[in-house]
Amino acid sequence: MPIEIMTLSLSAKNVVKHYGGVVALSDGNLEISSGEVVALIGANGSGKSTLSKVINGVVVLDGGQLLLDGKPLLFASPQDAKKIGISTVFQELSLIPQMTVADNIWLTREPLGALGRVNRKEVFAKTEELLALFAGMFKTELRPDELVADLPSDEKQIIEILKAVSFDPRLLILDEATASLDSRQVQRLFELVVKWKEEGKAIVFISHRMEEIFRIADRYSVLRNGKTVGAGNMKEITEKDLVKLMVDKDSVFSFARSGAKASEKPVCLEVKDLHSAVLRGVSLDVHEGELVGIGGLQGQGQRDLLLSLFGDIPFSGTIQYKGKAVHFRHPRQAMKSGFALVPGDRAREGLLYIRSILENFQLPSWARYGFPLKMNKAKKDAGQMSARLNLVMASLQEPVSSLSGGNAQKVVIGKWLMRQPYLLLLDDPTKGVDVGTKAEFYGLLTKLADEGKTILFYSSDDEELVGLCDRVLVLYDGKIHTELAGEALTKENLVSASLGVANGGVQ
Amino acid sequence: MKRYTWNALLVRYPALFALILLLVAILINFILQPNLFAGDNLNSNMRVFLPIILLTVGQAVVILGGGIDISVGAIVSIINAVLATRVGLSGSPQAMWQYMAAALLMGVLAGALNGFCVAYLRLQPIITTYATSFLYGGLALFILPNPGGGIPASIVEIYRNSTPIGLPLAFFVIAIVLGIWLYLRSTRYGNFLYAVGGKAQAAYETAVPVTWVQFSTYVISGLMAAFSGIAITMLSGAGNAEIGAAMTLNSITAVVIGGTALSGGVGGVAGPMMGAITLGLFQNIVSFAHINTWWETLVKALIIVAALATPGIINLFRRRT
Repeated sequence: MPIEIMTLSLSAKNVVKHYGGVVALSDGNLEISSGEVVALIGANGSGKSTLSKVINGVVVLDGGQLLLDGKPLLFASPQDAKKIGISTVFQELSLIPQMTVADNIWLTREPLGALGRVNRKEVFAKTEELLALFAGMFKTELRPDELVADLPSDEKQIIEILKAVSFDPRLLILDEATASLDSRQVQRLFELVVKWKEEGKAIVFISHRMEEIFRIADRYSVLRNGKTVGAGNMKEITEKDLVKLMVDKDSVFSFARSGAKASEKPVCLEVKDLHSAVLRGVSLDVHEGELVGIGGLQGQGQRDLLLSLFGDIPFSGTIQYKGKAVHFRHPRQAMKSGFALVPGDRAREGLLYIRSILENFQLPSWARYGFPLKMNKAKKDAGQMSARLNLVMASLQEPVSSLSGGNAQKVVIGKWLMRQPYLLLLDDPTKGVDVGTKAEFYGLLTKLADEGKTILFYSSDDEELVGLCDRVLVLYDGKIHTELAGEALTKENLVSASLGVANGGVQ
Repeated sequence: MKRYTWNALLVRYPALFALILLLVAILINFILQPNLFAGDNLNSNMRVFLPIILLTVGQAVVILGGGIDISVGAIVSIINAVLATRVGLSGSPQAMWQYMAAALLMGVLAGALNGFCVAYLRLQPIITTYATSFLYGGLALFILPNPGGGIPASIVEIYRNSTPIGLPLAFFVIAIVLGIWLYLRSTRYGNFLYAVGGKAQAAYETAVPVTWVQFSTYVISGLMAAFSGIAITMLSGAGNAEIGAAMTLNSITAVVIGGTALSGGVGGVAGPMMGAITLGLFQNIVSFAHINTWWETLVKALIIVAALATPGIINLFRRRT
């Protein structure tokens, strides 16, 4: 790479940031100069987003400092950061759904005409110019006057990227900008990143996808539990070593299920010809103590299957549970029979974010604590559960919103374990959970199955289905397309079955 | 071509539903009262509607920006009390103009206090303005404990019977307000307003001056409440410290009927203006249908509930099919 005149160099040194009692960042460091791409890597909850929000002025740091070209900087608001040329693609997007694409991109920098009126023509023209950067990447023609709310998630993501670029920033932060893009769109983004780099922009790249990091980044900086634990050139490190830095644990799948064959045990759940709005005739048997995976592409009916079993949505078909026919019409009935559902969207369905950890743990179980509630016993039980789950928290009284993603998910699982259920229905419980916590989950699930609990486990992560489950049922278009077990249960077979291709296993 | 959903249509043309409702209300009113548009009737209706229309405009701006202002009625009362006591029935027109200017300033100050509490101290809008409504309402009662006082008849005459080029005065006021709104809407401030109401966090991250925009909406609302107070005083010619009390809820209802979402960021000001007129027409319909006064409130409320529920009912049927 040719040596260029460095037009910007920003460094964050020993940055500290607390949210309530939880330390999000205890020693965050980052160095970046014009013309390079630095990957900020770390498991969920390691402080990547917090560090990027310190750099772009969205949150104010509690300790440490930011240096621009060696001079200390203090941001009171995002405006200050924008002024010196820092713009961000936010993970949760900074778009206003009810506004048009053009208005969103040029918000705060609208070209003005006579009397301070926004020159819509020019806004549209400039938007078209930007949209051309991703020409051919939209499913339908994307017009500048379309509402952001009407766009699919990948197009929203592209608009967020274009919005950040429209500032013509000197430093661009891409926080999980590729998460909802397809491979062609990622390819185009990377071409643009290379171009921007040559133009002298500095780019911070945050991603979970290792392959992308190796493709695009020049240097890396690894965060673990709020501390920067390593930094250097991408060329001098391997994928394996990076992961090691991130998790400090070698292998995630080091569990072998105990030899006992679950299929010899009695059938616990028998489902016949289940129909719902999405399901088109699903039949399955699950044995006691079996860990059955549900696979397939997203939206093939996995969610409907779990929700029907839990009595959350209307369905037709017969369900036999422990030899008795059941047809739940309300989750309350399912809970009474010993069912538990860990829902897929923990923010909306799994937790009361602003309420305390204690309340969240006890929400399904309050009935057991009498009237008036035996608070001391409730606290003791919740405390035991959080110790069992190895929950990292300030105290039981803190709101769940103070926890990181992985720890919040532990609360969702814990609140159902408090009821000691027989049958666990899990809807993608490891989504957005860091590698370390995932490993803990796997250990927990294996142990629960060995104790005789029956588990139906949907996951969007093929690797964990293969590594963890006794059997995997692959759903495709509302039906069980393939059942994979034993030798046939490989990642390759799972992927091809997900795509509706016949390959190994029982159909 | 992408097909627009009913919701998208409402987001794009928020006044559409309000317009349909207004036309229906006019039609029913016209059937019951065939001389609705004849002679003096148009003017006598419009001059009654104008105060609530003005109040609704301010309320709509606050709601668009993601807040709500419960104190507008109390600001109307305080303006009415001040004008009725300071100008007096036998006062000079000159004093009236002076106190009108003072009234506008008071409206701005009252709005600024609301805005300061909500935007800078980050208090809950609904609680804050509910509390300040007692402050303003109490002040109005302090100034004018019993109904009385008033303004010169000549001023009342101007408001009630001016019909430049044969059209009611209210039409011109509405046209001016609408013009100012359309201008404001087309400026950067207009974009900021929708952004802050739509998703304040995203607007903040985009470096929109969120706090300042929120503050400004309450100032505008206070100013519009002052205009409304002046209009209602000129309409009645008399003072009553509780004259605005019932207007707050009407202004919020008019905003919602006008297609501006209480959640903020969706809608406009034209729709709520139509909503305010619709509310006034409902009142007419109820009285012209010779409904016993006992039932009047109930019938009026039923019509409002039905109007509010219609978009939801339409959606319900769309989901079924």
